[in-house]
Amino acid sequence: MNLSRRDFLKLTGLVAASTALASCAPANRLLAPLANVAWPALAAADFLALNQLTFGPNAEERVRFSQIGLAAWIEEQLAPDAIDDFGCELRLRNLGTLGMSASDLFDVSDQIFDNVDRLKVPQELRQATLLRQVYSRRQLFEVMTEFWSDHFNISTEKGDCYYLKTVDDREVIRRNALGSFRDLVWASAHSPAMLVYLDNQANTKGAPNENYARELMELHTLGVEAGYSQQDVMELARCLTGWTVKEHFWRGQFTFDEKVHDLGAKRVLGLEIVEAGQAEAERVIERLAEHPAAARFVSTKLARRFLADDPPAEIIGKAAQTFEQTHGDIRAILRVILLDGLDPKGFQKPLGSVPSKYKRPNNFIASALRALNAETDGGDAVQEYLLRLGHVPFNWPTPDGYPDRAQAWQGNLMPRWQFAFALAQNEMKGTQVELPKLMDTIGARTFEESADQITSLLLGSSLGTSARDELLAALRSAGADETESLRIFTAGILASPAFQWR
Amino acid sequence: MTLQTLTDYTLHAPWMPRLAFTPKTSASRGDTLVVIFLRGAADVLNLVVPHGEDAYYALRPTLGIPRPDDPKSKLRTLDLDGFFGFHPALQNLLDAWNEKQLAIIHACGAPDESRSHFKAMELMERGVDDAKGPATGWIGRHLATLDTGNASPLRAVGVGEMPQRSLSGTVPVSALRSIADFHLNGDERAVAQMRSALDTLYSGNDPFSVLGQETLGILDILQKLDPTSNRPLSTLQYPLSDFGLALQQVAMLIKADVGLEVAAVDLGGWDTHFAQGSTEGLMANLIRDLGDGLAAFHAEMRDHMNRLTIVTMSEFGRRAAENGSLGTDHGHGSLMMLMGGNVRGGQVHGTWPGLGSAQLVGPGDLAVTTDYRDVLSEILVKRLNNPALADIFPNYQARGLDVLK
Repeated sequence: MNLSRRDFLKLTGLVAASTALASCAPANRLLAPLANVAWPALAAADFLALNQLTFGPNAEERVRFSQIGLAAWIEEQLAPDAIDDFGCELRLRNLGTLGMSASDLFDVSDQIFDNVDRLKVPQELRQATLLRQVYSRRQLFEVMTEFWSDHFNISTEKGDCYYLKTVDDREVIRRNALGSFRDLVWASAHSPAMLVYLDNQANTKGAPNENYARELMELHTLGVEAGYSQQDVMELARCLTGWTVKEHFWRGQFTFDEKVHDLGAKRVLGLEIVEAGQAEAERVIERLAEHPAAARFVSTKLARRFLADDPPAEIIGKAAQTFEQTHGDIRAILRVILLDGLDPKGFQKPLGSVPSKYKRPNNFIASALRALNAETDGGDAVQEYLLRLGHVPFNWPTPDGYPDRAQAWQGNLMPRWQFAFALAQNEMKGTQVELPKLMDTIGARTFEESADQITSLLLGSSLGTSARDELLAALRSAGADETESLRIFTAGILASPAFQWR
Repeated sequence: MTLQTLTDYTLHAPWMPRLAFTPKTSASRGDTLVVIFLRGAADVLNLVVPHGEDAYYALRPTLGIPRPDDPKSKLRTLDLDGFFGFHPALQNLLDAWNEKQLAIIHACGAPDESRSHFKAMELMERGVDDAKGPATGWIGRHLATLDTGNASPLRAVGVGEMPQRSLSGTVPVSALRSIADFHLNGDERAVAQMRSALDTLYSGNDPFSVLGQETLGILDILQKLDPTSNRPLSTLQYPLSDFGLALQQVAMLIKADVGLEVAAVDLGGWDTHFAQGSTEGLMANLIRDLGDGLAAFHAEMRDHMNRLTIVTMSEFGRRAAENGSLGTDHGHGSLMMLMGGNVRGGQVHGTWPGLGSAQLVGPGDLAVTTDYRDVLSEILVKRLNNPALADIFPNYQARGLDVLK
């Protein structure tokens, strides 16, 4: 039998995938059941801070946080490699496509089973994304990964992005999520997924395509109000002619195609660019990544993610200053935003203990799963709720990324209530919560104690007696035994206004 | 913690600014308005083709839609008035055109010249010239300034997963993706308990609780509808797309008479920088989705057309000349379609600025000769009985167009 290179890769890919599956089965058995940990009640400000830094705190994080406090917890999270994350990695082991190269991803997803395989790679990436958000102990890293995935948004629906995004996620976003902004923009500009998503592979001499050049300035670095002109967009597009993606051999690799590069000098943002091939756009990228407008634009978005839709101007200013001083050191910028914004002892106390951010759908879902110590496969059933809520990972069509303001997400409560109802009753395939076990862990004996503990788990501290009794009375009026009622009580707290905010 | 802190989000919901003005006008309900936003900046020169302009074919040697009488092409422009014509994928919309229930306003748009999708969409949905204007949406301000005596939670809906920016304001508006999915599923007693919990949890007077109450109200209304009934009698089928599904939900709500006054529907994917195609291909498929959807809606809602106005809009148009990758880059002038029983239909309205090099603006774009707010203002005044244009489009003086009866 004569195997072509591609057939060979398909086979090895399949063998690798099946080996991973086989070796993973016992590992998965080792995982279950999840260890239940008793959770401490937290002060409102602490619960709020922990909510901003994670996809919703679980019991283990509450324990750690109450031991070491906010500043130390942030430092610990800013060094994710030092945090043991074996449990999460085990859960990802049967997702064989996560670590593959672009050409292997193309081979395993191309035509083995017609179009079905085209779905496999993005599906695994979506599943991995949710599993990491729920199970990774490197929570701040995952929050930042999501932040940059929106900032450098790529939809897997566009052309070859269905397999190239997996590489972008690994090599661009995750590699640089807590590194330097300059490296991130640089990597993104050389990322085949981004070049395909924003049509730069079609940007050639005499036939410019402005799409990527425009968004590189408008969305990735400077912001729309920075004062660049249509002329700047067109000149940057000229610099970027020839930045493209290899086909056939080394498929899916970045390449600079000199033959279609527009020769001659260019002028971008007042910068004279002498003819230098690939280095022309790279010079502009260096400039954009350290531009004061980028410092401001990125600092504003970061503060919006962690603090409030309209974050305090002082914090933005200080973060932007740090951005400029450190040449875009993401950790340094985060320290300013998180310590000043979340620490009641920070230079300003803008938030106090009042939730200021509406949870985006995946945040709502992950926070419920995390707090209740749910066992989930991150698969189709739970992803269906993300679809109904309009928040499937890597599925936002336009390059601005999923919105980060309450206004965009309010007004679609029904699927949240449906999720809460299905989760608490264990009616979602592939996802399980064990309320009795949780109640054993915390030592709740009476129904009222259990209700108080569920509230503490989901909202930080217990409801007052009268509020709890009012809610319980509402349930009893609809007639139910206690086990059933605890499930609906839990669903109710998950569906409550308070749980929608962080 | 009290139930109050658990439920009351008055202070924490800055997304819903307090009413800056009370409703100024009481009036009977006018038409149901369906606002369709073509997101991504639709290439209107290939949607409604100026086939009478030689410059069009010079600018678009490969993407141009062949003249109606081009003997070399099977698929070609469907002539409307000797100068403009439909893209061939709009074939099914010709009925509405011929019945004079469909009008085009060409070279429409906004003054914004950023050529940024996101800035242009935001300004257009807010109905303002710059960032300084009100943060609410133009439809939101319409709802807030007009008292129609309609307390239905379905007075306005955003079809899809997120309510459109245009809807935001003091009147809570929900997103509705699918009527069939809008319910709590499960054991009857558990559903009753959950309902009871939700009633308690969302009993406050703050905006977020009110939004929850509205959602519960919608649940009650939709439970009584049978999404499988009301099948269209027409032979025209809706496209099997999100857009087709969305229009079917709107049709069902209108027929069920649940108090719908405004529905916002999106059709995305129009950012065709690359390989948009000509008579066939990527953009032709989008146009077919749009045309077939509108045609099926028109056919199904024939008996309701006298109380219906449908308008399409897009944030801007695309460059008049095709780019080197068989696509088009960001431009300026766009167009709007108007459909309904009271539209001055069968006509292309507006002033055609021409495609000559001296007539194009900026880097070579169709000029804007009609502000989109002129069209919307006429709808508001003539069909929705709302004269509060100064609130809805602040600092803008609308120009009468006479595109509606």
